[in-house]
Amino acid sequence: MPRVRIKNPQDFGAAAMFVLIGLAGFFLGGDLEFGTASKMGPRYFPGILSLLIVALGLGLGASSLAVKGPRIEPVQLRPVAVVIGVVLLFGYLLDIVGLALSTMILTLVAAFARREVRIVESLLLGAGLAIFVVVLFVYALSQPLPAWWGAP
Amino acid sequence: MGGAVAVELDVFNNLATGFAAAATLQNLGYALLGALLGTLIGVLPGIGPIPTIAMLLPITFGLSPLGALIMLAGIYYGAQYGGSTTSILANMPGEASTIVTCIDGHQMARQGRAGAALGVAALGSFFAGCVGTVFIAAFGPPLAVLAQEFNSPDYFSLMVLGLVTAVVLAHGSVAKAIGMVLVGILLGLVGLDTNSSLPRYTFGISAIWDGIDFLPVVIGMFGIVEIIRNLESRDLHRVPVGARLRDLWPSMKDFRDSWPAVLRGTGLGSLLGILPGGGAVLAAFASYTLEKKVARDPSRFGKGAIEGVAGPESANNAAAQTSFIPLLTLGLPSNAIMALMMGAMIIQGIEPGSAVMTKRPELFWGVVASMWIGNAMLLVINLPLIGIWVRLLSVPYRLLYPAILLFSIIGVYSTNTNVAQLVITAVFALFGYVLLRVGCEPAPLVLGFILGPLMEENLRRALVMSRGDPSIFVERPISATLLGLTVALVALIVLPQIRKTREKAFQE
Repeated sequence: MPRVRIKNPQDFGAAAMFVLIGLAGFFLGGDLEFGTASKMGPRYFPGILSLLIVALGLGLGASSLAVKGPRIEPVQLRPVAVVIGVVLLFGYLLDIVGLALSTMILTLVAAFARREVRIVESLLLGAGLAIFVVVLFVYALSQPLPAWWGAP
Repeated sequence: MGGAVAVELDVFNNLATGFAAAATLQNLGYALLGALLGTLIGVLPGIGPIPTIAMLLPITFGLSPLGALIMLAGIYYGAQYGGSTTSILANMPGEASTIVTCIDGHQMARQGRAGAALGVAALGSFFAGCVGTVFIAAFGPPLAVLAQEFNSPDYFSLMVLGLVTAVVLAHGSVAKAIGMVLVGILLGLVGLDTNSSLPRYTFGISAIWDGIDFLPVVIGMFGIVEIIRNLESRDLHRVPVGARLRDLWPSMKDFRDSWPAVLRGTGLGSLLGILPGGGAVLAAFASYTLEKKVARDPSRFGKGAIEGVAGPESANNAAAQTSFIPLLTLGLPSNAIMALMMGAMIIQGIEPGSAVMTKRPELFWGVVASMWIGNAMLLVINLPLIGIWVRLLSVPYRLLYPAILLFSIIGVYSTNTNVAQLVITAVFALFGYVLLRVGCEPAPLVLGFILGPLMEENLRRALVMSRGDPSIFVERPISATLLGLTVALVALIVLPQIRKTREKAFQE
C-alpha cells in the first residue's frame, strides 16, 4: 500500500476544521426536533448545513492528498497569546478598576506582544490613551463605562 | 448636479426633502466629524473600513437616528478614502477594494506624483458619489415597488445569489469560500429558534441566548487578527512612505487623462454595486480591467497610469453608494459593510426595508442626502489635510497597535456593556487566526453569518407555502430569474477558460 502523504497542508487543515465544525453542528443539536420540509423543526436547517459542511470538508481533505499546495506557516505564540490575552484581561479588569487603569494596564501588557519592550514609552502612551478615552467616552459621549473603580 | 442628468421632478422633490432634513448645522457637524474620524482611523495601515466602522459605531449611539446615520456615512466614506491614501502612499491596502489602487497609485507616488494620485482619487470619488446619490434617488423607489412583489422564495433565492457572488469574489479556493459561507450561516443560527423558541447551540451561555452579536465577530476576526498578523510580519515596524508631495493638485493633463476613466468607473460601479454580494471590491477590479482594455497603451498600467487610479477609485465609491439600494429597499445587506450599517440602523430603531421609504420618507431621503454630504465633507477635509494624513503614516506601529486594540475593545464593550462580549471577541479572534493559517477568507463567513437567520426563515416560509415542494423556487418568476443568474455565475467559475482570467485578475 502506498504511503498517504499530505500534499497541501493548508487545505488539509481547513478540511479537518470543516469536518469538526460540521460534526459538532450535527451532533450538538441535542434532542431538538428535525421535522420535515413542510414543517421544518429547529434542527432541520442547521442539520442539513452541518452535513454539507462535513461533505465539503471530506472533499477538500481528499484533494489535499492529491494536489500540492502551500504549507501552514508556524504559529508565533507571543503575539497571539498576548493580544488575545489582553482582550480577556481588559474585560476582567474593567468592572474592577475602571477604564483609566484598565487602559494603562492594557497598553503596558500589549507591549509584550513584541520582543523589544520599552517600558517608559508604554507607560507614557498608556497615560495619554487613558486620559483620551476617559474624556472621550465617559465625559464627552457619556458611554456607560466606569471611569474609576467603584463607579457605576 | 441636476442639469446634466435627466431626473424626474419627484426625484428632485424627494432629494430636496432629504437635504432639508439632513443639512442642518448640527448634522453637517456630525458629517464632518464622521468623515474626519473615519479618515483618521482608515488611514492607519492595515485597518480596512470594516474594523474602522465597527470601532467608531458606539460614538453614534447617543445621536438622533438621522444624525447617527449621517455620521456613519461620513465615517464610511472617510474610511474608504483613508484606505486609498494608505494604498497610494505606503502600498498597503487596508482591504480588498483598494488593492487595485495600490498598483498604479503607489507607482505614481514613487514618481513624486502622490499629490496627483490622491487628488484624482478624491475628485473621482466625489463625482462618483454624486452620481451614486442621484442613482439611488432615481432607482430606489421603483426597486422598492418591485420589492413589494418579493415573497419568501424570492428572498431566499436572492440570498443564494448574494452568497454565491461572495464566493466567486473571494480570493483563492472556491471550496474554502463555500465552506466559510456555510459555517457563517451555521454560526448565524446560534440562539433561540424563532419558530419553536427553543435554544440552539447556546450551551446554557446567556450571552448568546439571542444569537451571537455581530460586532464581536467582526472585531475579533478582522480587527484583532489583523493586529496579530501585523505583529508577526517583521517588515511592518516602519511603514515605507514612498511619497514626496510635490504638488497636491493634478495637472491639466492629469485631468484630461483621467476624466473618461472616472466616467466609465462611475457607470460600472453604480451598476455593479446593486448586485447582492457585489459592492466596492467587484467594482474596483472590473474597472481596472476595463481601463486596461480600452487604453491605447496598456503597458503603462502598473507603472503609474493615472487612469488605473481614477477608474477604480470612482468605481468603488459609486458601488459603495449604490450597494445601499438592496439594504434600503429589500432590507438585505449585500456585503459585510452593509451588514454593519444594517446593525447600526436596527440599534437606532429603524428596520431597513421597503417600509422605511413609505413610512418614514424623511429618514430614507435624509440617508440618501447624507451620503452626498458625506462625500462632500470628504473633499473639503481631505484635500487640505493630506499633509497630516501623510505624517500619520509615519507613526511607528509599536505605538499604533495598543491604541487600535484599545478602541476595538471599547467599541465591542460599549454596544451592550457586557464583559461576555469580550470573551466572544477573543474566541473569534482565535478562530480568525486559525482561518488565516489554513488560508480561509473571513469575509464570506461574515456575510453568511448575517444572512443565516433570514435564509432559514424564508426557506421555512417558502416550504410551508408549497407544502414541502422545493419546485416553488423555480416556479415563481422572480425566484427563477435569480436562481438562473446564480447558475450562470457558477458556470462562469467552473468553466476553465474564465476561471483562468479570474485568477489572473486577482494576481494583478
